[in-house]
Amino acid sequence: MSEIALAAVAEPADDLAEDVPEKRVHPAVATFKRLFHHRLFITGLVLFGVIAIAAALAPWITTANPNRLAMRSKFLPPGEDWIFGTDSFGRSLWARTLYGAQLSMMIGGSVVLINAIFGTLVGAVAGYFRAADNALMRVNDALMAFPAILLAIAVTAVLGPSTMNVIIALGIVYVPRTARIVRASVIVLREMEYVQAAVAAGAGHWRILRRHILPNAMAPMIVQLSFLFAYAVLSEATLSFLGVGAVPPTPTWGGMMAEGRDFMRDAPWIIAIPGVALMITVMGLNMLGDGLRDVLDPRLRIQQ
Amino acid sequence: MQRFLGVAFAAATLAAGSAAAATFTCPRTGGDLVFGQEANINSLDQMTSNTISTRNIAMNMFESLMTRDENNNAIPELAESYEESADKLTYTFKLRQGVKFHNGKEMTSADVLASFDRYGRVGLFRSMFDQVEGWSAPDANTFVIRMKAPQPTFIELLSSFSVPVVIIPAELKDDPPQQLRTIGTGAFQLVEFVPGSHVRMRRYDGYKPNTRFEQRTGFGGYKVACLDTVTFRVVTEASARVAGLETGELQAVEDIPTKAAAAMRNNRNITLLPLENWWIQIALPNTAIAPTNDLNFRKAVQAALGMEDIMDAATDGNFRLNVGFQYPHQASFSDAGKETYNINDPAVAKRYLAQSSYKGEPVILLTNRDYPPMYNSALVMQQQLQAVGIKAELRVVDWPTSVQMSQKVNSTEFNFFFTGWGTQPALGALPTMQFFVAPGAQYRPRDDKDDPDVLALFREMNTLATEAERNQAFARMQKLVLERAYAFPFGALTKIQASRANVKGFVPFRIPRMANVWLEN
Amino acid sequence: MIGVVLRRVASAMPVLLIVSLITFSLMRLIPGDPAAAIAGLAATPQMIAQIRADLGLDEPFLVQMASWYGNLLQGSLGRSILLGKPVVDATFERLPVTLGLSAYAMVLTLLIGLLSGIIAALRQNTMIDQIAMAFAMIGISLPSFFLGLLMIILFAVHLGWLPSGGYVPFWSDPWGWFRAMTMPAVSLAMLQAGLLARITRSTMLEVLRQDYIRTARAKGLPPRRVIFRHALANALIPITTVIGIIISLMISGSVVTEALFSLPGIGQLLTQAVLGRDYPMVQGGLLLVTALLVMVNILVDVAYALLDPRVRYE
Repeated sequence: MSEIALAAVAEPADDLAEDVPEKRVHPAVATFKRLFHHRLFITGLVLFGVIAIAAALAPWITTANPNRLAMRSKFLPPGEDWIFGTDSFGRSLWARTLYGAQLSMMIGGSVVLINAIFGTLVGAVAGYFRAADNALMRVNDALMAFPAILLAIAVTAVLGPSTMNVIIALGIVYVPRTARIVRASVIVLREMEYVQAAVAAGAGHWRILRRHILPNAMAPMIVQLSFLFAYAVLSEATLSFLGVGAVPPTPTWGGMMAEGRDFMRDAPWIIAIPGVALMITVMGLNMLGDGLRDVLDPRLRIQQ
Repeated sequence: MQRFLGVAFAAATLAAGSAAAATFTCPRTGGDLVFGQEANINSLDQMTSNTISTRNIAMNMFESLMTRDENNNAIPELAESYEESADKLTYTFKLRQGVKFHNGKEMTSADVLASFDRYGRVGLFRSMFDQVEGWSAPDANTFVIRMKAPQPTFIELLSSFSVPVVIIPAELKDDPPQQLRTIGTGAFQLVEFVPGSHVRMRRYDGYKPNTRFEQRTGFGGYKVACLDTVTFRVVTEASARVAGLETGELQAVEDIPTKAAAAMRNNRNITLLPLENWWIQIALPNTAIAPTNDLNFRKAVQAALGMEDIMDAATDGNFRLNVGFQYPHQASFSDAGKETYNINDPAVAKRYLAQSSYKGEPVILLTNRDYPPMYNSALVMQQQLQAVGIKAELRVVDWPTSVQMSQKVNSTEFNFFFTGWGTQPALGALPTMQFFVAPGAQYRPRDDKDDPDVLALFREMNTLATEAERNQAFARMQKLVLERAYAFPFGALTKIQASRANVKGFVPFRIPRMANVWLEN
Repeated sequence: MIGVVLRRVASAMPVLLIVSLITFSLMRLIPGDPAAAIAGLAATPQMIAQIRADLGLDEPFLVQMASWYGNLLQGSLGRSILLGKPVVDATFERLPVTLGLSAYAMVLTLLIGLLSGIIAALRQNTMIDQIAMAFAMIGISLPSFFLGLLMIILFAVHLGWLPSGGYVPFWSDPWGWFRAMTMPAVSLAMLQAGLLARITRSTMLEVLRQDYIRTARAKGLPPRRVIFRHALANALIPITTVIGIIISLMISGSVVTEALFSLPGIGQLLTQAVLGRDYPMVQGGLLLVTALLVMVNILVDVAYALLDPRVRYE
């Protein structure tokens, strides 16, 4: 989605301008140092980290089965016995929220991975090989022309609902957008003198791509992917909310909110709890992305 | 032997009907009512759509020759009366005089003929004419249907309201499927239809009530439009319907969540109107494949089910336990086979399971989320099956997909299909039990070859001469179907409707009937 | 100028062709068919088979495809199966709802996004800046359907100030339209306003650092004049492209918003069509919507060229 590109628009970051250039340390170490002095990045890392850790440790944090129905204890508000209360089937919202985090992380991470691989591949090929560019970009444009959610709904309808298919659908929606961003950097890098020099020296195309272009396209990629993670989590929740996500009763935040809709007047916590969890995750990722962008974006490095 | 049935039916209806002795008159005329409807409306073509959302609205504007009264008996509506010939091969309908369409034209037999022509061409239940040889209009007030062979159940089919043969002006007969112009003879006429948003109708001043009756009954009877306009607004969010009703933005709504209903019980501005027997919540086995092809396995499932929990989850607490395929107030109701219902005994289930060929393979429950009660009941059934050692798994798809998957012959994709039977049980035993007969028997027998014992009983239900005999055949068939575990009816679902307290005369039936409904000051 | 537009239109054609091919194939790959949707609950297989035959769905894939493209060449997008009316009519009937919603949301986006972005930039590193950016961060992190639900609970269910859903045509009742559209527009605008505020702020900061602004300030021009005549005018240029992207985001966002607030717009129309397997409606409707988006992007490019004289000579 082009909103990824929008979210990542670079600011002339002041934190950065005030940084003292560190000359003697390894550049990677310097980058990490700068990152860990970036307030937004740290806040984002903490928010996202809390959710990620909760997701990873879900089976140890709660012993409750997130799918266990208990019709006699339905609609219990958050309180001492039930930290987050129960839903319309008497299931523990605490357990469902934790396991929902697991699913969000899993889907977000997989979509990022797919984009890192296929988005880079398609973008690099289109940006580097002019012959392939036109055809690839037309298909790309067509996929991007669809309203994203509708495309995802149609793809999950074709493949059938499952966690895997949600990942595939979101992959199909987002890979073209990532590819477009990679292509843009590759086109710029292709014209750089050092690349032209390597071409003149007779280096093979793949070698040039691998050794000279892609490493330099990495920084904007990483920034994009952190925002993409946020959008993937958000999109998964939207799909589940619309009832075309992972197979119920798998706990998903969007699905939990959809199930709570009928009761939002009298049991608003069923919606509010997963909603807040979702917001924290997405916000953490966006802050993380902001931090990464400030520190990693090459445009800023050039300015320095 | 010629019988003159119209009068008899009218008398019967009156006797069973309301306490009010005199003909209905509107205590107050005027006002606008907005009804919050749950589902989107695609088309108002009552001949080619079987969806509830269409019927909800269209049946306030269209009428048919015959319809059903409050107790589901066939009654004449646009017909004054009808006669069945001694050889049972001819039905002669006398039409009511002075009935006008919404375009001002008076209805004649030519219009009835054209309506039947269109239905025969595109109507969804045109298979009801399989035994019909033809129809004719000997004079302006008479319509005749000739049969190829006697069919004792023909009037029952013809008066069905699921996809009725509504009477339309002759000039509409070539309207393509789903595109029928909305011109009927009902007490209300269409003002505007904005798909996805609302349908507005207003009182039809040229409407002539059926004076054979004194009150509204079922879909027919003496109907008067007291309201100036009625708007059916699509409000898909249950909470939004509740909020709209509480603020007075909506005067009546359907499908109120129980939790909200409980909170509204003390609100003096609101009347809750439970609509009982909305549908029979049901799961059907796929008997073409293992392990559901094994009677012992199906009996294990039958024994494992606890209907209170299933229905509680399915309906959010609004249900009535109900044996079999008919509702208690119906003439054909029978509790035959009740020993198979709500056994809820894991020990018995495990015993049957041990005798079965079940090897621990996954058992697929095919359900959908478009209809939450179906999804919810599958969720509980899954847990109950798991409790006795059956590896039950959910397969949740959308409604069209689940229908297609369930109808494939020898499908290997599912073991149980979840649905709700609404209109058919309300119409009576015959249309309901049709579900157990090939082609397309719903327990999905291998190669769609149905169980000959079941088929034999269904033949009896169709051909026995008297209603009592046919009802007994139904009871036997129900018992057999339940004993062979060809269906798992969970119970009857109640749909809660509600209205503002000043809405009077609004009695929940199969559809929200807007005739004889008025607003008090 | 006209040449540029024509070239853009020409290059959009293959995109539209691919869009239609993808849609057609996707729709036929989806299990289930419109017959099941029409037949309603508890339909018998015979009934469904009969409807399928009535609708011509028994024909092979390639035959259906050939006839669809054949009709397209003659300028017909066919009829919606579920709605029983021409696809073009059904689409244009719903368009005012979505366009009205988008326009309302757009006004909110511009108002909130531009203002808070500009103010934040001018008051860089102050409390105001931080608050504005915190709100922008919440805006881009809050799922629109969650915001919508929260607003429904508060303003419709508990306070009863606004209707919880439903559509009122603008021309029949402007005030009713305004009431009905406010919550949907706010929930739709939140994300976009957040994005726009962030971008406006960074663009403004960049512009404010440019030499000509410094010169203008050094010349002693009043600050307001510097901001409006020089800084804002230049910052608006890149923002125009952003607005183009935002419009296409809104069409996508309307899918969820319309579902939540029961608005009969394009998003609802297409979602219902996909779920009801209304093949002609999905194929034709998506093609029209895509064509519309392509047109919007071309218009944005033209606006961009008009605002920035450098582009014209490219």
